[in-house]
Amino acid sequence: MLTLTIAWRTLLRRKGRMALIAVLVGFGTFLIVFGGMFASSVARESRESIISNFTGDFIIYSDKSKTLPSPFAFTTPLPNVQDAAKIAALLDGNDEVESYAMYSQNYGLIQVERAGKKLDLPFIFYAVEPAPYRSVFSNVKMTSGTFFSLPEKGSGGTAGSGIIVSRYQNEQYQKNYGVTLETGESVTLLGITEGGVNTVRSSLSGIFEPLRYRSVFDYINYMDSATYSSLYNFTGVTGLPDQFNDALAAANVDESSLFELGGDDAFGRLDLASLTAETLSGFTMVAVRLKDHDRAGAVIAALEAEPELGIKIATWDKASGFYAQISLALQAFIFLATGLIFLVVTLIFMNTLIINVVERTGEIGTMRALGADKSFVRGVFLTETLILNISAALAAMVVSGILLVFVSGTGLPLPETISQFLIGGGSLRMTVELLPFLAALLTVVVVSILATIYPVSVATAITPLKAMNDK
Amino acid sequence: MNVVELKDVKKYYMLGQTRVDALRGVSLAIGQGEFLAIAGPSGSGKSTMLNMFGCIDLPSEGSVRIDGTETEKMTDKELTRYRRTKISFIFQSFNLIPVLNVYENIEFPLLLQRSLTKKERHERVLKAVEEVGLQDRMKNKSMELSGGQRQRVAIARALVTRPLIVLADEPTANLDSETGKRIIELMRQINETEKTTFVFSTHDAHIMKEARRVVRILDGRIVAGGDVAGEG
Repeated sequence: MLTLTIAWRTLLRRKGRMALIAVLVGFGTFLIVFGGMFASSVARESRESIISNFTGDFIIYSDKSKTLPSPFAFTTPLPNVQDAAKIAALLDGNDEVESYAMYSQNYGLIQVERAGKKLDLPFIFYAVEPAPYRSVFSNVKMTSGTFFSLPEKGSGGTAGSGIIVSRYQNEQYQKNYGVTLETGESVTLLGITEGGVNTVRSSLSGIFEPLRYRSVFDYINYMDSATYSSLYNFTGVTGLPDQFNDALAAANVDESSLFELGGDDAFGRLDLASLTAETLSGFTMVAVRLKDHDRAGAVIAALEAEPELGIKIATWDKASGFYAQISLALQAFIFLATGLIFLVVTLIFMNTLIINVVERTGEIGTMRALGADKSFVRGVFLTETLILNISAALAAMVVSGILLVFVSGTGLPLPETISQFLIGGGSLRMTVELLPFLAALLTVVVVSILATIYPVSVATAITPLKAMNDK
Repeated sequence: MNVVELKDVKKYYMLGQTRVDALRGVSLAIGQGEFLAIAGPSGSGKSTMLNMFGCIDLPSEGSVRIDGTETEKMTDKELTRYRRTKISFIFQSFNLIPVLNVYENIEFPLLLQRSLTKKERHERVLKAVEEVGLQDRMKNKSMELSGGQRQRVAIARALVTRPLIVLADEPTANLDSETGKRIIELMRQINETEKTTFVFSTHDAHIMKEARRVVRILDGRIVAGGDVAGEG
């Protein structure tokens, strides 16, 4: 009690100096509590947003790909996945999988006619199976028309064909080409292949607005997979004899086996009439959404264990590129800023305590002369430090708590540009957690103890002789 | 039995390469209930000798016995305990704890002892306050008191533990002569009624007159009044 009385009154006596330290400790605590929860909320929302809009829990892609799949990297389309049917069968048979969507990314041209003049509009797009895509991703809000004839809500309906473009993209067409596409309008799609330029007649199914990550999806449009397959000649045949398929497979390794087919009797007797045309997907990616995000490791391991599937798998954070790193960088920044604040607090506090010790040399010497042990002196300084710092920390926690309760109901409004990068847009949903409060309290206690070590060693070295000399 | 006994005590300090001799072989015994002044000019060794009595400094050579125990063999913890239980100080600059009021300053050494109940502490503090005549100032902080009042608080704080010996280092040096005289009278009065041993240093001739025994010291040596009291 005596220690507490002396410590408390000494703090009040030096309130100006101590107020500065209290403000710094309070700010540091606020950074830990509010900043920590902000960072963890951003991490959680960012993950949820990327999974829901970009990648699913993971993306399956061809093992021939030299680069990671990136839903917003269009410079080099990835190689097609080799056996989409087998992948689909595996995913259908896995209870952990909630839904999956096969899709591809590519670019082409939309040709329209205005006033008797043909105009070619550049067109970056996802080629998707409309229904599965919408069961995995929820990033499209139609402003006119439909998402490939699918009903606005629910999973029923039969998908139609065509393209849909983003509202922003349509505005850019108007701005740069003087053309505004209208829903239902017939268009000619031009696709550039190794064999030349293919064209397909199609129509504009609708215009959409992205719900999240506008900075990416404003530039992305959609084409249904059947149209895509026609446009890029993803067509094969069924009914080929086994040895023909074997030889084709061997040709992938050694071209000479292809020429040996000429001498093959079975090949020579091939009945072309028995062959039927088959539309190939041309899918480069399969986005998989799981019922439980935390089961991703097990599902990926099961898929990778399948022999001769010819796939690689990129988890959501790898596939989303730098977007997933933003929340990590933010957490690192907050951690660093908090560390720096507390380093400054420690140094300022240590310095202030040393000044206090020097100013109170006579007082400390008197206490020692009157019979106070070194532990008593140590206790006075430690109590002063803890009272000040814990009070400041508790005040900051109360402020943080009130702010958190307030924003957990409404969401924390963020400037749109920042929000787009952090969580894809909109307000940040924040949840109140206990851990940052405990972490802040522990940090403050540890910092307080560390900051007093040297000043206390100076104080306890003061002998009673100082009291005698205090004249 | 002697309360304090110094035998051929020498104390020297090294200031760089130079040795400074503060005490040059001092022998002195102080008996129970003495009212003794140590007189001498500044730098003569008065304070050093008081420091030896008070267990706040140890001799370079010779021995110091307080209540029959040699101090030079004690650890810092033991010396602290000795000061807490057997010795009290009255300082030249009063040395009250600024954040505590009069009552709390007087109670402070009792709280360090941790051996008394709250009621016992209260009774002792009240008695000490009465002895120095500060009953109406108990709630005041030291900054609100005059120099004489502060020194009275310091005297009360020194007496409240019922020590073996009270050491006062020039207790009147920061007081005007009239107040200084009253403080010495008060100390003497307590010495007579309570039989508490008082040892104080001074170079004020008027104050010296009040002492029953005066030990004169010059250049670290006792030059008068240094007869050993009791059996030695």
